[in-house]
Amino acid sequence: MSRIISVTINGRSYQDLVPDNMLLIDYLRERRHLTGAKQGCDGGECGACTVLVNGAPRLSCITLASSCDGVNIETIEGQARGGHLSPLQRAFHELLGAQCGYCTPGMIMAAEALLRRNPDPDDDQIRQALAGNICRCTGYGAIIRAVHAAALMMREDLAGAEVGR
Amino acid sequence: MKDGAKRHAVGQPAPLIDGIEKVTGRARYTADLDHGDALVGAILRSPVSHGRILRVDTSRAEALDGVMAVVTGDDCAVPYGVIPIAQNEYPLARDRLRYRGEPVAAVAAVDAKTARRALDLIVLEIEELPAVHTSDEARAPDAPRLHDNKPGNIEREVHHVFGNPADGFAQADLVREASFSCAEVNHAMMEPHAALAEYDPERDRLTFHSVTQVPFYVHLTLARCLEMDASRIRVIKPFVGGGFGARTETLNFEIITALLARKAGARVMMRLSREESFLTHRGRPQTDVHLKIGMTGKGRITAVEAEVTMAGGAYAGYGLVTILYAGALLHGIYDIANVRYDGWRVYTNTPPCGAMRGHGTVDVRHAFECLLDRMSRKLGLDPFEVRRANLLNAPLFTANGLMVNSYGLDECLDRVEKASNWHERKGRLGPGRGLGMACSHYVSGAAKPVHWTGEPHAVVSMKLDFDGGITVFTGASDIGQGSSTIVALATAEILSIGIERIRVVANDSAVTPKDNGSYSSRVTFMVGNAAIEAARAMREKLVAAAANKLEADPEDILCEAETFSVRGSAQSMLGFEEVALAALAAEGTINVKGTFSTPPEAQGGKHRGGAVGATMGFSYGAQVVEVEVDRDTGQVMVKKVWAALDCGYAINPLAVRGQIEGSVWMGMGQALSEETAYREGLQSHAGLLDYKVPTIVESPDIEVFIVESIDPNGPFGAKEAGEGALSGFPPALANAIADATGVDADFLPFTPDRLLEAMRKAEKARKREAAQ
Amino acid sequence: MTEYMPEFEHLVPASLDEALAVLAERPDSRVCAGGTDLLVNMRRGLVEAGTLVDLGMVDALRILKQDDTGLTIGAGVTLAALLKADLDWSQLNALREALAAVAGPTHREMATVGGNLCQDTRCLYYNQSEWWRRSNDYCLKYRGETCHVAPKGNRCRAAYCGDLAPALMVLGAEVSIAGPDGARRVGIGDLFAEDGADHLKLKAGEILVAVHLPRAEGRSTYGKIRQRGAIDFPLAGVAVSCRGRDDGLWFSLAVTGTNSCPVMVEMPAPMTRDDAADVFFRDMSRRVQKAVSPQRTTTVAPHFRRLSVSALAARLARGLAGVADP
Repeated sequence: MSRIISVTINGRSYQDLVPDNMLLIDYLRERRHLTGAKQGCDGGECGACTVLVNGAPRLSCITLASSCDGVNIETIEGQARGGHLSPLQRAFHELLGAQCGYCTPGMIMAAEALLRRNPDPDDDQIRQALAGNICRCTGYGAIIRAVHAAALMMREDLAGAEVGR
Repeated sequence: MKDGAKRHAVGQPAPLIDGIEKVTGRARYTADLDHGDALVGAILRSPVSHGRILRVDTSRAEALDGVMAVVTGDDCAVPYGVIPIAQNEYPLARDRLRYRGEPVAAVAAVDAKTARRALDLIVLEIEELPAVHTSDEARAPDAPRLHDNKPGNIEREVHHVFGNPADGFAQADLVREASFSCAEVNHAMMEPHAALAEYDPERDRLTFHSVTQVPFYVHLTLARCLEMDASRIRVIKPFVGGGFGARTETLNFEIITALLARKAGARVMMRLSREESFLTHRGRPQTDVHLKIGMTGKGRITAVEAEVTMAGGAYAGYGLVTILYAGALLHGIYDIANVRYDGWRVYTNTPPCGAMRGHGTVDVRHAFECLLDRMSRKLGLDPFEVRRANLLNAPLFTANGLMVNSYGLDECLDRVEKASNWHERKGRLGPGRGLGMACSHYVSGAAKPVHWTGEPHAVVSMKLDFDGGITVFTGASDIGQGSSTIVALATAEILSIGIERIRVVANDSAVTPKDNGSYSSRVTFMVGNAAIEAARAMREKLVAAAANKLEADPEDILCEAETFSVRGSAQSMLGFEEVALAALAAEGTINVKGTFSTPPEAQGGKHRGGAVGATMGFSYGAQVVEVEVDRDTGQVMVKKVWAALDCGYAINPLAVRGQIEGSVWMGMGQALSEETAYREGLQSHAGLLDYKVPTIVESPDIEVFIVESIDPNGPFGAKEAGEGALSGFPPALANAIADATGVDADFLPFTPDRLLEAMRKAEKARKREAAQ
Repeated sequence: MTEYMPEFEHLVPASLDEALAVLAERPDSRVCAGGTDLLVNMRRGLVEAGTLVDLGMVDALRILKQDDTGLTIGAGVTLAALLKADLDWSQLNALREALAAVAGPTHREMATVGGNLCQDTRCLYYNQSEWWRRSNDYCLKYRGETCHVAPKGNRCRAAYCGDLAPALMVLGAEVSIAGPDGARRVGIGDLFAEDGADHLKLKAGEILVAVHLPRAEGRSTYGKIRQRGAIDFPLAGVAVSCRGRDDGLWFSLAVTGTNSCPVMVEMPAPMTRDDAADVFFRDMSRRVQKAVSPQRTTTVAPHFRRLSVSALAARLARGLAGVADP
């Protein structure tokens, strides 16, 4: 069985015929060629596939595309504005929150959801918000520093300025 | 800057030159490459630990609509393996199956569903054979043999003696022995394995993308196993989501994907599941260490004896290197005159082990640093003082002939001792809390690679063209560690140009020079030096052109911030573009190259096994770990880590810090929660829920101290930074747990069940003693 | 499509009645809420369903109401929404701690209270790929004949690993259930049966609608033993409540992760002023040890799970009673 879904992805509207059993991650990667969201595990264990659905983080690898009719999806590809990095992207880049980069799209989207509801999180709140996203390179220290730096940029509206190292 | 040099590019924190792709989702990893029309590959795997293949009938799979190719062991009769003298693995099993999960057959079909259905249609008849899953089982007198030419299931035995251990032990005031058992662990890099192969039958050409750390090995192995002329193969490495050693060897799925593409005459995308990525394994083997150390009353080590047994899995892989490294890396860190080392690498019916971050050293270093701590306590000495009593005095050659030119371990000790407030806090943290310390070291690349051809270790080429841009070509594989950034920074420094003027092109065998790959922490040292040499050659050309234009002697030309001027003359100044055009006018597009080779004295002693562990320089590290142990549940909480590493010189301090934090943390994973687990050879950990990679919640703050000993041969004085700190963590944690609980644990990892059991046993023993 | 999913029809009813009607018409259908358990299992080929009945659009399941009589939580309320809800949490500490202990934050955004209660039991011989299970001749829970955990037994020993159930049990929750024969309401303990292959006492066509908590009195807490600080299911978890009455302190305990259903452990008598605290809590610890029967369903030894959860139970109870650790 298939159905037509209407979705908004990164501000653009699409109508697509999707099989009932198609996972959101496959829809994004194969139909929409948005390969930012990554498959890192065999389902629901690593967070690399995290996208925002109506503003809340979601594991796209255990979400059915057909359940997304009418929703607003945000992925890592939609975070930069006019080619300029979002505060989180800038901070992850400049403070080495991304080493191999494979967990990064999911990590940034989970952090984005955090900063939207809590513009000034402490270490523990960052840890709790990113607890479902596994990174194998950084040991997480640089990720925590990057989220703090991005939060500061957003608070002070310094998105264009360089992060203090 | 410790060496006093004034530098503009290196020595300052630099974001990765490919970092923007990673944070925007634009980075394309193998599974992200356009594969609209690619066939889907899938692998049928052995359900048994050990068996004889009686029949593989693929006829029904071949007949299924949408199946374009099926391959079995019959499609490749050439064995492969990373060590030229130990190649005993086939990409698809022939005759014998030796571990659960070993590839038996593979299909390429129009979609994943058809591929999966085709696998179900393959008939596999097996005569099951008795299997051995541990080194004890494998070494039992009546054990079944995995390989006919390997009696006793021993892949490699090593027996090395340096100095006179018996004399050394006779001089000791205290001799202690202990046994340690360390569980097998896996790299668990975030990106599951994947490969994309495209075969053009008209021209007999294969284009191959993969997740590899060493495209050069993949190239050689594909040529070997497909029996193709290597010139018809092109290997490209896209973005790679980590490796940690898993992707140093060419892996079976890579060869299988190529076999399928050739058979189908098409493009084949192979994406392994997380479970299959675990089944491919190549991690750190389960290791038993029996260690004996002799020490004077003042903490001076007089002799060491180590017996090491590794359960290596079903094939040779990297095994002989691992077992040799374990012995060789007893040296190089402390001044030890008398050493005996006996090692056994054993075959077991489990997935083959291989290289993993800290290759060879981690479990042996764990045992060593734990035993040092126990002996310090026995002698009433501070563990820092015991290390200080055994420091090397560089430059020197160790008892087994390893060259040491720079040595910053003393400074590492000072830094973490002070930062952790060791003397005020040790033993005073209250019940259930403790501090522990340990040291570690690692090589900056092997002075003699396993594929020894006599060629330079590294070649970097560099182009200057009409656009005034510098393009650097390197075969070094950036797998997230930032090697391309190092190459760019070194080039920018030598040419006195901005990094924005530089493009790095890496890892396309049709374009970039051969490189030995990203393993053994060789890239910064070797490729960095090659990049410096190439940039110097380029600079010479530019300086000559500037000198010509300014009518000055090349020796008098100053080159700074993309401008050229004559020393002592303020007026005549030329911009970089101007000089570049002048240089190009003389000879057109400029191509230069730089190479790096290791001198013979770096390549180890003449004795048997002397080349093992030989390197241009070792990194050295010291760590302090603070821990809290829950006595009711055995749960361990790491509160804080202080880690110092002597990396020679930090070309990119941002990346060095990231590497130290990452390796300390990976050591924490091995020490706290990570282990592979098997049920009759069947992996019961093969997912990211059951293989316990630490989450951000239990990951502590790691305070990093970069120590710069300026190695005379390193690029700008640099040595490795990506592995040395790992092996310090597990023993520092063990020593902290001993401080917190009084329990000296002889296992890794410190899972709550093991630790609770050990604490209960210790409690019972205490009570027994008190009763007597 | 690259990732494996079996084929099914995905229906999204707009009301509870519609959902019940679909379930009645299609016996091969399965109810799906947040999907964090079911879809993971489907990816591994553990669930066959012709129809997936998605409850995501049923508003009646998202009710959340607190008044003088207590708290009603719709089965479709997500864990994150409940955690964020503006409620009087003072008497519901065990529930709040249990909610925060479930998996990771993104799972909690998706997962629902009903889904968490009704989650499948877990076992290292079951939560594996099709290749793995086939290589191991499957198991009693699914497609096989033997329970590899207890080969001589005649039932599946897979462990129930929900975090919320024990917390709700010690808080005295009831659940309401809708089905083809109408609605019913039972104590939450009666939702579960000690059988890893059939652990929910929901009849064919029934849907869990809501959880009802009486106005609680006393204090409560939840503790979870796991290897990592997030993502992991409990190796064992225990909820404890403590109510002070004229005759002393009454404790209730419930344990998860050790049996095929959550296990209630009642203290038969209150702790009185005459009781020696150490003796009382040692007895509590022994009662927990006796009540639970962890099996080799995880890579971590059963013995450890028994010991650690009983020690943790007594420690949590001490905390509630304000009695210092021994």
